[in-house]
Amino acid sequence: MKLAVVVQRYGQAINGGAELHARYIAERLARHADVEVLTTCATDYVTWRNELAPGLERVNGVTVRRFRVKHERNPVVFARCSDQVFEQTHSVADELEWLDAEGPTSPTLTNYLARRSHDYDYCILFSYRYYHAYHGARAAASRAILVPTAERDPAIGLSIFAPIFRGVRAHMYNSPEERAIIQAVAGDRDVPSVVVGVGSEVPSVTQPGRFRQKFDLRDPFAVYVGRVDANKGCGELFDFFDTYVREGGGALTLVLIGQSVLDIPPHPRIRHLGFLDDGDKFDAMAAAELLIMPSYFESLSIVALEAWALGRPVLANAKCDVLKGQCIRSSAGLYYDGRLEFVETLRTIERNRWLAGTLGKNGRQFFRDNYDWPVIERKYLDMFDRLSTTAPRSIEPLSGWFERRRPICPPAAQTVAALPAGPSLQPAGSQSDSRTAMAPLDSGAPPLHHGGAGEPHHHGQRQSRRGGGSSPARRTR
Amino acid sequence: MSDFNVRSDSVNVEQIMEQIRSKIREKRGVDYTEEQIYELATVKLEKILDSRGVRSGLLEEFRRVQPPYQPPELPNYSFEDQTLFESHRAPLRWVRRLLLPILKLFFNPNPLIAALHIQSKLNAMSAEREAKREAARQGVDQLHYELLHNLVVETTRMGIEVHNLKMRVESLASRLEFNERRARALESVVVYQPSPEIPEETARQEVPAAAVGTTTEAAAPGRPAEGPGLRSRRRRRRRGRRGGGPAAAVMGAQAPQGGEVGPVGTASEAAHPPPERSTSDRSPTPEGSASPAERSPDPSGLSEQ
Repeated sequence: MKLAVVVQRYGQAINGGAELHARYIAERLARHADVEVLTTCATDYVTWRNELAPGLERVNGVTVRRFRVKHERNPVVFARCSDQVFEQTHSVADELEWLDAEGPTSPTLTNYLARRSHDYDYCILFSYRYYHAYHGARAAASRAILVPTAERDPAIGLSIFAPIFRGVRAHMYNSPEERAIIQAVAGDRDVPSVVVGVGSEVPSVTQPGRFRQKFDLRDPFAVYVGRVDANKGCGELFDFFDTYVREGGGALTLVLIGQSVLDIPPHPRIRHLGFLDDGDKFDAMAAAELLIMPSYFESLSIVALEAWALGRPVLANAKCDVLKGQCIRSSAGLYYDGRLEFVETLRTIERNRWLAGTLGKNGRQFFRDNYDWPVIERKYLDMFDRLSTTAPRSIEPLSGWFERRRPICPPAAQTVAALPAGPSLQPAGSQSDSRTAMAPLDSGAPPLHHGGAGEPHHHGQRQSRRGGGSSPARRTR
Repeated sequence: MSDFNVRSDSVNVEQIMEQIRSKIREKRGVDYTEEQIYELATVKLEKILDSRGVRSGLLEEFRRVQPPYQPPELPNYSFEDQTLFESHRAPLRWVRRLLLPILKLFFNPNPLIAALHIQSKLNAMSAEREAKREAARQGVDQLHYELLHNLVVETTRMGIEVHNLKMRVESLASRLEFNERRARALESVVVYQPSPEIPEETARQEVPAAAVGTTTEAAAPGRPAEGPGLRSRRRRRRRGRRGGGPAAAVMGAQAPQGGEVGPVGTASEAAHPPPERSTSDRSPTPEGSASPAERSPDPSGLSEQ
């Protein structure tokens, strides 16, 4: 079997969420199939400047074929287009212009896919919102498997993506929330799909003591791992943490790991360690009392999964449906909606050792059941098997020249605002016809017990563990 | 966390969150919605804006620095149909009026006159509007200043209040801590409780010993008997005083004749002599009954027993 993994950027040093996800999947699937990565020469996701040489290269034993980006992103044009399509009534042509402005515009990549797609059994396209995924899916519709990595941002409301969601062969979702939002946008319930996510190379042995010694950290601490950015909720995190220190009377220090694009306030209990290698990062998570995830938008937080894999509880922002849903389904983390809840939940985890330990233990089990590599690989291979017996699909063609220019598309932000919100409390089934409803957390709706083979709800999870259900973990182990 | 309670082995995150939320509600007293908070803020603002509540010397100063608005004297913008031909010289005016038809042969001045007339009206209106706006702006400035000032006053008052409350909390905390320590210390002392079977004489023997160096209330019925620890402390104190006797003598032996006055109310003992006791029970140095000079120092303190 030959597979193409199509992603906007690729490389050992590229640590963006979707890009890392794509690299992990490519390297793992390379054990089962001949994998080739099709990507661009860009390394910067803002400019898409060509910085790497086009052509073939091998990264960690995987063949990588790079294509040049036609033009860099012009931030002024992109901002204008974004405003047009997100906030105003617009046309399909406007959306295509936005896609071109967003980049990475690489017609050579999509042309290559159109010409050579028959060389591959399946083309796994990452990140629906970029040029390569949209045009790549159209170029290789009969072989396209989409890993949308969708978040609840206005881009999901653009009308050009709905035919793509409906026309690809399959979806590999990161979370039930992501599946629900895409199904609400595109009505693609008959497309085969499975909630997969991604695993992580978590070391079996960590050295928290070494980390503490190396960075002179003696007090208990909470850790944040990721880009220190206002868009990731870090500004709010600093504010809330300051309240926790002043009013909560807690003893935790906040340790930040990752590059910073935000001014970190000088605070005696906030320490920024900068970018660390994986060894230090995992040691830090093992040494921490908990991981804090303040992000508003995530399709899947690899860092949260890694913390769970290391048996650490997670404190997540409840505004992010995915993280909140994962905390509830895994029973491995708490979530906060506002300053007071942040202070109180942090204190609760800090002071209740038993609770922190149990959350961590649940997290470890949740990771093993759903995100261990054998589980992930099995889900991909099962999907390939399943697709080999189903007929290829086709994507609806683009409308005509005049039709494309009719301003009939509503503002994308308005479309997204009308979508159902809240964490998915139902278990995630792998069947395409599984009905996933977005129930508000406070609705008091009882959790349903699906027998699906996908990501199980925690109640179902416990049930399968006790009753010998057919969870993927059990099947793979 | 003492007030957080999860009993089962399995964790229900939603249940925990509900507990946390209820705890927050308890702490806040009332769980205000955003609308309620805005409403409260509006009420507060109105209260602050109330001129009767203003205590402002600065405001007067501000008004003094900024005198009431005086509208500026505007230039004469009037322009009528005869303005072009007016003159203070009457013959010249007559000639101009006479030659007006000839002038009109060269060009029509009426549109020009009309335009200038309209312009003059516009100028007057504009000036009037500007004057009104300036007056309103000054009024708003004063209002802003007043609001700011009152906010500062209120903030200061609240700051002081918070400071006072903090001090009170600290004081209470220290008193609580002291009381706790005291309670622990008292608990550690073995309290001797005389049983009802003990003969009255024995009880009486205890009472005067306890009463030494204290008020007469110490011997009052109903008061719990003192433990040996307390008595031994008192004995040590007394021994110290006896030890100080010669020093007092060196200093001139100025102790009062009525006996050495204890730290607490020995005078009342003089007024109310201790109850009669047997010779075997009598202490060699009953306070208030003998001067220090009469007392013989008893380093062993055995005489107390």
